[in-house]
Amino acid sequence: MSAPAIRLKDVGVRLGEVDVLQNLSLDLQARTVAVIGENGSGKSTFARLLGGLINRTSGELSIMGIDPARRAAELRRRIAIVFSNPDAQIIMPTVAEDVAFSLRADRLPPAELTQRVGAAMERFGLTELAQRPSHDLSGGQKQLLALCGAMVRNPELVIADEPTAYLDARNARRVAEHLLEDAGHRLVLVTHDLALAARCEQVVLFAGGALVGLGEPEEIISQYEAVLAC
Amino acid sequence: MLTLYRPGTGWLHRMPAGPKLLLILSVVLVVSLLPAHWSTAAIAALVAIVGYTVSGLGPGLRGIRELGHQMFSLRWIMVITLVSQLIFMGPEPAVANTARVTAAIVLAALLSLTTRVTALLDAIERGLRPLERLGLDAARCALLLTVTISTIPVLGRRAAEVRDAQRARGARNNPQTFVIPFLIVALKHADELGDALTARGVR
Ligand SMILES: Nc1ncnc2c1ncn2[C@@H]1O[C@H](COP(=O)(O)OP(=O)(O)O)[C@@H](O)[C@H]1O
Ligand SMILES: [Mg+2]
Repeated sequence: MSAPAIRLKDVGVRLGEVDVLQNLSLDLQARTVAVIGENGSGKSTFARLLGGLINRTSGELSIMGIDPARRAAELRRRIAIVFSNPDAQIIMPTVAEDVAFSLRADRLPPAELTQRVGAAMERFGLTELAQRPSHDLSGGQKQLLALCGAMVRNPELVIADEPTAYLDARNARRVAEHLLEDAGHRLVLVTHDLALAARCEQVVLFAGGALVGLGEPEEIISQYEAVLAC
Repeated sequence: MLTLYRPGTGWLHRMPAGPKLLLILSVVLVVSLLPAHWSTAAIAALVAIVGYTVSGLGPGLRGIRELGHQMFSLRWIMVITLVSQLIFMGPEPAVANTARVTAAIVLAALLSLTTRVTALLDAIERGLRPLERLGLDAARCALLLTVTISTIPVLGRRAAEVRDAQRARGARNNPQTFVIPFLIVALKHADELGDALTARGVR
């Protein structure tokens, strides 16, 4: 991990008539990075930009050496994105089939597919639920399934946009542990949970579509809390 | 009404998804094309009963019980079809049409009862592949079908949420106040689903 995994230089994103992100320059080196800021500050736009779901309007961007605007397909093979709403992330009717869906494009031999899916479900505690209809699961189980579907592809970078927003405390903690656990992936975690942000190695603070803080969790979180207190 | 796969080992379960799709489709087609006679009602009922008995859904009366289950979930469709046609067309076409429609639906359900969606997705993709020379993207079409099927229960639940929210605010069940919020919710879901599909490796 020598060259910065994520590097932005003067990046701007314009959506419709709005400059949602402006003059964004930063290097992210740490394995786990939290992104915090008020509603509408541009966190989701930043996450979608890193995930290759939207393109920049100006500037330069490199993610693990890849320019998403040029090699979007390659980038998507190496990263995974997790969203807040599990209902919109689950596609197949049963748990095991949904996990396998993430590997469809790889056209693996059946034995290897079964093995990979089985191992991933085991890791996320979904083995008992393998044949259950995925839309009948509880919210927490659904989000674990969404996470399992993201992780089964062994991504190098996981981008999570408020992945615990809809969960109760216990399920939020389970999801967070899986995200923070070092399974060989980097993590960019958008969250309103400051205790969770404090557990990342680096924190990014957004306000009004601009970067206003980047550094150690303690420092940036107190900077944010000072703004909130006003 | 959206039937789900039930694990099993009968011959219909073991049959490859492609040929099974064609077989069930042709039976459904024949039943739907029967004329509107009294005899059609009897034939349609017979075909459905035979279909559920011989397809190896399980030991003993398992197949017939499954048929009962399916018919029960269709009860309102049956009542509505029957009553509306009794009023407008008389008893013979009403009974024949209702039997025909019900039989077609329960026979089609045999496919989803005995086939995993993944197998179906693969079969449709393979079946459509010859059309790729005409510019059709087989994988995308198969996926579109799958996503459509899996979206129905989600949208059903969202519709119930919208209705609940309106009732909580004292609104009566009113299609006019329902349509707009539901459309917004549905479009938002489509938007999120598109992102999720992209994120999960679909081009
Ligand atoms: N597609 C869009 N078109 C126009 N404006 C948008 C679009 N998406 C987001 N915005 C605006 O960009 C700003 C940042 O949004 P977002 O990145 O979702 O913030 P956050 O995730 O921090 O709440 C908001 O003011 C929002 O209204
Ligand atoms: Mg957001």
